[in-house]
Amino acid sequence: MNANAMAAAAADRADERRLLKESVAAFVERCGGATRARAMRGRSPGFDRAVWREFADLGWLAVTLPEQYGGLGLSLTEMAVIAEELGGALAPEPVIEAITLAAGVLRHAGGSVADELLPPIAAGEIIPTLAWQESDGNFDPAHVAATATADTTGGIRLNGSKAFVPHADAADGFIVTARDEQGLALYWIPADAPGVEIVLRPLATGAMVGCVSMKQVEVAPTQRIAAGRHAADALHLAIDEATVMASAALVGLIGKALNMTLDYIKVRTQFGKPIGSFQAIQHRAVDLYIQCELAQGALGDALAAHTEAPRSKAAQAATSRAKARCSDVALLICREAVQMHGAIGFTDEYDLGLYLNRALVLAAWLGNSAQHRRRYAAIGNASTQEASA
Amino acid sequence: MIDWNAMGDEEFRQEVRTFFEQNYPSELRYPPHRLRWAEIKGWYMTLAAKGWLAPTWPTLYGGMGLNPTKFLIFIEEQERWGVARTPDMGMTMVGPLLIKHGTEEQKSYYLPKILRGEHLWCQGYSEPNAGSDLASLKTSAIIDRDEFVINGQKTWTTLAQDATHIFMLVRTDPQAKKKQEGISFLLVDCKSPGITVRPIPNIAGNEEFCEVFFDNVRAPRANIVGELNKGWTIAKAMLGFERITLGSPKQSQYALGRLEILARQRGCFDDPVFLDKFTALQLDVADLVSVYARFVDIVKRGETLGPDVSLLKIWATETYSRISSLMVETAGAAGAIVGKVDFGGEPVDVLSSFYYARPAPIYGGTNEIQRNIIAKEVLGLPS
Ligand SMILES: Cc1cc2nc3c(=O)[nH]c(=O)nc-3n(C[C@H](O)[C@H](O)[C@H](O)COP(=O)(O)OP(=O)(O)OC[C@H]3O[C@@H](n4cnc5c(N)ncnc54)[C@H](O)[C@@H]3O)c2cc1C
Repeated sequence: MNANAMAAAAADRADERRLLKESVAAFVERCGGATRARAMRGRSPGFDRAVWREFADLGWLAVTLPEQYGGLGLSLTEMAVIAEELGGALAPEPVIEAITLAAGVLRHAGGSVADELLPPIAAGEIIPTLAWQESDGNFDPAHVAATATADTTGGIRLNGSKAFVPHADAADGFIVTARDEQGLALYWIPADAPGVEIVLRPLATGAMVGCVSMKQVEVAPTQRIAAGRHAADALHLAIDEATVMASAALVGLIGKALNMTLDYIKVRTQFGKPIGSFQAIQHRAVDLYIQCELAQGALGDALAAHTEAPRSKAAQAATSRAKARCSDVALLICREAVQMHGAIGFTDEYDLGLYLNRALVLAAWLGNSAQHRRRYAAIGNASTQEASA
Repeated sequence: MIDWNAMGDEEFRQEVRTFFEQNYPSELRYPPHRLRWAEIKGWYMTLAAKGWLAPTWPTLYGGMGLNPTKFLIFIEEQERWGVARTPDMGMTMVGPLLIKHGTEEQKSYYLPKILRGEHLWCQGYSEPNAGSDLASLKTSAIIDRDEFVINGQKTWTTLAQDATHIFMLVRTDPQAKKKQEGISFLLVDCKSPGITVRPIPNIAGNEEFCEVFFDNVRAPRANIVGELNKGWTIAKAMLGFERITLGSPKQSQYALGRLEILARQRGCFDDPVFLDKFTALQLDVADLVSVYARFVDIVKRGETLGPDVSLLKIWATETYSRISSLMVETAGAAGAIVGKVDFGGEPVDVLSSFYYARPAPIYGGTNEIQRNIIAKEVLGLPS
């Protein structure tokens, strides 16, 4: 391709992304935006399966899925457009949790379980969730205590317990990590498998996370998605991609919370002037705007790194950089937004609280800013050593 | 009658401590939210029976007559044991106000009822359009023979749904040259026809503050405190002690203790980065304690607090906020779970600290307003 053709292709892609962004924004707005997020709190499932099927019909659940599974075969950048819009609209549907993360593991692992599950997942018929973390909250995917052991009848028994499992109340099945002789293994277990027990806890958004305990859960060897190095690679990549998507959702949320606050300080009047005319408020608004721009930049770099070399150290570092920045900025903006709103910002009736709660959930999910800064440093040190070796 | 002030400080402390430890319901220690009347009524009545409801009121009016030093010991022991705040507006605001500015009739009618738990008061200052700029309040009270007729709306009124009475600032002279000059201080019975109270749930999921609507509400003229149109001066005079309570280090100390439990269980103290963050906060709290002590001494000497007390409220509430953020961070994946989370056998409610750290820099005069006060009145910066 010559330079002109490449520029034209890039312009086309940018156009397509803009169109995608507009259509997602219009759709979620039509669905009810923040009002719907509010209505879904405390419900089980914490989202609308009918809306989920519409997402499927629109192709949003199959964006990054290869064409062989009936997907669109597009990049993470397109998916980020969706994640950002859904994040900004506070859509409660677990697109990142079920699609980028859980289905992502299947997609990267391939094999017969993936062949079987991915088409109905893309069609919105099956909703999977990934159960990888354990109750100590360690966010290294290799840190697994749950076990998979062969029993005498040729089957496999899963034992252990998984924590912080998103939408554990609604998922049709779990992709669990367990340890066997080869190291890490991934299994698919239907939600109603005997021996599976789920204890639910509400998150700040009202959505449920579950602690999924497995006692002698019997699985057939055909339920093994992948094992060893291959399983670990698929898991790591899916988690990284979901981490970038969580950052995209945070960027969407950050933009909305900032705009909401800017709109408010322009009209709220005290002492005969809009509070946005006080320099103390102006400077802080500017600082938030700067942070907002930094978050977008970090997200953009993470997407670029994933496009270039998804499994590289550079992509991992950029992922952590984005998640650290976006998590911090979202919490900062929401905290400052409450302060600049005054008492109304502390009410449940005002939508700001919904943004604050979503920020808390997304910031804590898949590693918070402190955890990602630590990971960034570790990756950085490892790659310096690699380079000097 | 016991003369508490004649007692040695340590002896007094011991007496108060023992009483709290033996009588305060243990399930109500360190409640994560402001307790409602139904929850705290029992304790309120225990205090009433003991004669300890009003520590600062003169004994003549049924109080304990504590001097500032003894009162601060009383508060310290309350906070040390995690004794919850009662609906105490009657004790902290109305009582002292009436004792100073009230008529004999007002004193003899209201004070005993506060002490018996018959009257619960709420504070009706803020309005939808009068928050930081309180003096722009619009709720009007028009004199009609021997009554005031009140129309308008108050908001953010803490625990109005439990209150039997509201003390409020109302506009009695809309023509006054300065907006501060047309305001009066009124006492109103919440059962008066025309009052509607609507609780407003907060982001922590609790109903603590309310909107209060006034539609042709009638209150006897005798319910004015002080002179007509002089309410602003009265309200201002009541602010001093509030600033010092809002500057208490106890909230931060308690939160720091919870953070420590959580961090130990997670093994965070082996991490030098965490250790530094934690120690920084520990020192922030230590310095808060000493600044607090400095202002407490002023009160103890019976002097009035200057505008510099604003720094106490700023540092206390912002330290608390930073601790609550580090708590969320340290909890990691558990940092977004609602309610108590078990950390090695110790249940810690991570989010409630985070939620309740939000309004602290807003109520009692926002931290921006406190900074404005310091800039002008302490640093003498030009406007
Ligand atoms: C939990 C809670 C309980 C409360 N309980 C009561 C109660 O019992 N009774 C009662 O009467 N009130 C109560 N209040 C109300 C409280 O006093 C007000 O919230 C406070 O005065 C701020 O007013 P506002 O909320 O209208 O915010 P605004 O005044 O609208 O302020 C919004 C933002 O603008 C900033 N701002 C305003 N003016 C300036 C300026 N000149 N320079 C720089 N920044 C400025 C503020 O600092 C704030 O960040 C309560 C509030 C809360 C949150």
